[in-house]
Amino acid sequence: MDKVTLLLSLAFALFTIGLLGVIVRRNVLVMLMCMELMLNGVNLSLVTFAHQMGSTVGAVLVFLVFVVATAEIAIAIPIVLLLVRNKRTLDLAAYTELKG
Amino acid sequence: MKLLALIPLLPLAGFLLNGLLGRRLGNGFVSAVGCGLPVLAFLATVKCAFDLAAGGYTPLSETAYTWAVVGESRFEVSFWFDRLTAAMALIVTGVGSLIHVYSTGYMKEDPGYARFFAYLNLFLFFMLLLVLGRSMLILFVGWEGVGLASYLLIGFWFDDPEKAAAGKKAFVTNRVGDAGFLLGMFVLYATFGTLEMDRINAAFGAATLPAVSASLVGILLFVGATGKSAQIPLHVWLPDAMAGPTPVSALIHAATMVTAGVYLVARMSGIYLVAPEASNVVAVIGVLTAFFAATIAVVQTDIKRVLAYSTVSQLGLMFVALGVGAYGVAIFHVYTHAFFKACLFLGAGAVIHSLGGEQDIRKMGGLAKRIPITFWTFAIATAAIAGIPPLAGFFSKDEILWFAYASGAGGSTWLWALAALTALLTAFYMFRLLWLTFLGASRMDPQVEHHVHESPPAMTGVLAVLAVLSAVGGFFALPHFLEPQLALPTVQPERASMQTPLVALAIAIGFAGLALAAWFYARGGERAARLAPSLAPIQRVLAGKYYIDELYAAVIGRPLGWVSEHVFLRLGDRVLLDGTLNGLAALASRTAGLFGRVQTGSLHLYAFLVLLGSLVCLAWVWRHV
Amino acid sequence: MAWLLANLDTLLLVLFAVCALIGAGLMLVLQQPMRVALALISTMVFLGGIYGLLGVHFIAAFQVLIYVGAVMVFMVYAIMLLDPRDPGVMRRYSGLLVPGVVVAALFLAALGYVAWQDAPVPPNAGGPTGFGLQQFAVAFLNEYWLHFELTSVLLVAAVVAAIAVIRVNRGERG
Repeated sequence: MDKVTLLLSLAFALFTIGLLGVIVRRNVLVMLMCMELMLNGVNLSLVTFAHQMGSTVGAVLVFLVFVVATAEIAIAIPIVLLLVRNKRTLDLAAYTELKG
Repeated sequence: MKLLALIPLLPLAGFLLNGLLGRRLGNGFVSAVGCGLPVLAFLATVKCAFDLAAGGYTPLSETAYTWAVVGESRFEVSFWFDRLTAAMALIVTGVGSLIHVYSTGYMKEDPGYARFFAYLNLFLFFMLLLVLGRSMLILFVGWEGVGLASYLLIGFWFDDPEKAAAGKKAFVTNRVGDAGFLLGMFVLYATFGTLEMDRINAAFGAATLPAVSASLVGILLFVGATGKSAQIPLHVWLPDAMAGPTPVSALIHAATMVTAGVYLVARMSGIYLVAPEASNVVAVIGVLTAFFAATIAVVQTDIKRVLAYSTVSQLGLMFVALGVGAYGVAIFHVYTHAFFKACLFLGAGAVIHSLGGEQDIRKMGGLAKRIPITFWTFAIATAAIAGIPPLAGFFSKDEILWFAYASGAGGSTWLWALAALTALLTAFYMFRLLWLTFLGASRMDPQVEHHVHESPPAMTGVLAVLAVLSAVGGFFALPHFLEPQLALPTVQPERASMQTPLVALAIAIGFAGLALAAWFYARGGERAARLAPSLAPIQRVLAGKYYIDELYAAVIGRPLGWVSEHVFLRLGDRVLLDGTLNGLAALASRTAGLFGRVQTGSLHLYAFLVLLGSLVCLAWVWRHV
Repeated sequence: MAWLLANLDTLLLVLFAVCALIGAGLMLVLQQPMRVALALISTMVFLGGIYGLLGVHFIAAFQVLIYVGAVMVFMVYAIMLLDPRDPGVMRRYSGLLVPGVVVAALFLAALGYVAWQDAPVPPNAGGPTGFGLQQFAVAFLNEYWLHFELTSVLLVAAVVAAIAVIRVNRGERG
């Protein structure tokens, strides 16, 4: 098995586990962290391909993914904070306003 | 100058002017236009008749315009003027104009005065299209148009639901007949590729007969005539049509529209000459209708109803003449009948007008001295219809009876016998009517009696003219005039000798009817009243018109109503149509509801669906890459 | 021993990969959010190690600095603020556990199939790559300067959004 296959499999596995985590875990914060895991998996696959092709663009993209992930989490956590303050629970089953 | 096209256009202009402007411009304008234009049409017809005679009686023909060109067939609006057309057009415009003048007096106080004259002119327009049309298509336009005008005029006082229903009945019954007419036209068109009547007649008269059965076409066209001319079984509308104003009854349901069926058969004589079965059907139905209607007329108590059944009966006699090949004689009877029947109806109108609306003859009597002009004109017309010589009705009716007996194309003894019996009944009930209405002691309501007065000159003048025509009209030998076009049938040789005895018998019948009526109904009908109880059952059947209306209602009306209600309304409309629409809507709604269940508000579910969707997409891409 | 030294990169790579995977798996299983955070941190660190083994050292540095140092620390703050410590209150799994696992397994199988196919791109010989820091910096500030500026804009937007959240926060409390 060569490096690329291994790393790619790892990336896909991380992504899948992250998505599974979003589906099965109830705690809002844990769901957020699983989303981070998904991002990491994708980032790994991006690095693998970029490294394989030896392109500069790949590096730039990886960096941009870092920035975006940071900005995203910077906003996501305060939003979750506000939500939790409203509902007084971290259980996602309580957040059903999107019903209908 | 396109004179032929002008003849129907003049009344049409009258319709438009009176219809659109009549109310605003007042009764004077309406009368002037409404009577003036038909008179002009009459004069134009006279001019055309002279032109015809001057040209050696070759038919005049004029094409107004081309209606449609469909593939290779042309449909043109064209007019035709030959001897038969001249006779019919003169009757229609002449008697029509007289009745228009009468209406200025009769309808004077009616708020719908302008509308009345507009409709009358419209009727005249369509009737002229009917008689002047060269092609059956134009005739049919006129045919339907007079049906429409009849509907509008019968239901003229539409606020009364009964009168409106009578108009509807007339129209619907006509339509039943029209179905047969249309089928006949289709067969003719399919066979000949043209609907021009002169060409079709020529084709049937040619040495080699066309491929289509003449009898079939003859019967189909006769079905149409049955509807329009109120023969059995489509006669039921004519008595109810008396709900319309009396001038309408005179014009449409006595003189002109109902004779359209007779005109049709006479015009298409080429077909009937080679269709003995169809002619037999015509004659049989004619004589049965004549007899049947005469029996009902004997017991009627409404002055207009007696005259209505009398019209049905006389039309039957005309069809007898047509059925035995005496086409010219039938038209002769149309001509004389127009005079005396119009005079009778208008006289009845004058009586009704004098009595302030009373129509029941049991409440009349003793009017002869108080409204003499009306009385004498009515008496002359009654004698004419009874066949008293030398008035007009005697000549035409006698010819019919003669040919019914002796015609080589279907004359027989029983046909003559029934017709003669009908003539006897006719004389009887008409003189009964005269006696009960005008003679004897007065049976009127005192208030009514107080106001009895002679009608205005517009009305009595017309009555006088028509009475004179009823008296002397018979001396113009119309069958002889029409003979070059409509040949008289050959007489059976062994019967030729019976001509004089039969004439004598006809005269005797007329006087016998007069005598019987006088004996029973003089002095207020006391002898008749004494006889009444023993004949009560017969009287009931006759008064019930043989219960034909009830039969139709039960056999046709109710099943149709049931089908309409249960099949069309409940099943077809509600279940199928509404059900389909509502069902579709419900389906959409339920599907939406079903899909809506996806939106539970649970993010877990949404994420799961994302995963699932991605998997499906991935699998799909693989299958197609 | 010689074999070990010869294949050290590959062995370390496999080791780091396995550990990252274990960390990810633990995330699904652990009850308390703080422990889940720690599992994630470990995964991220091992990922950083993998980046280092690949030769992209500055990306590895970024991984640890930014992801672990900023993002996860913020996450830990949030957990400390919100999480009510006692594990008996909330159930761990949602109603979609079984279907989720099943479909995720299928998905992973599908993706694995993709991963295990032969790569059409020739593997890297290990020569000069675009991942050198100097080359990266030069590219970022020359060719991709627009993207650089745009990231600044994005961060400004994030700051503004954070302030807005504070205002909402303040507004709610009165």
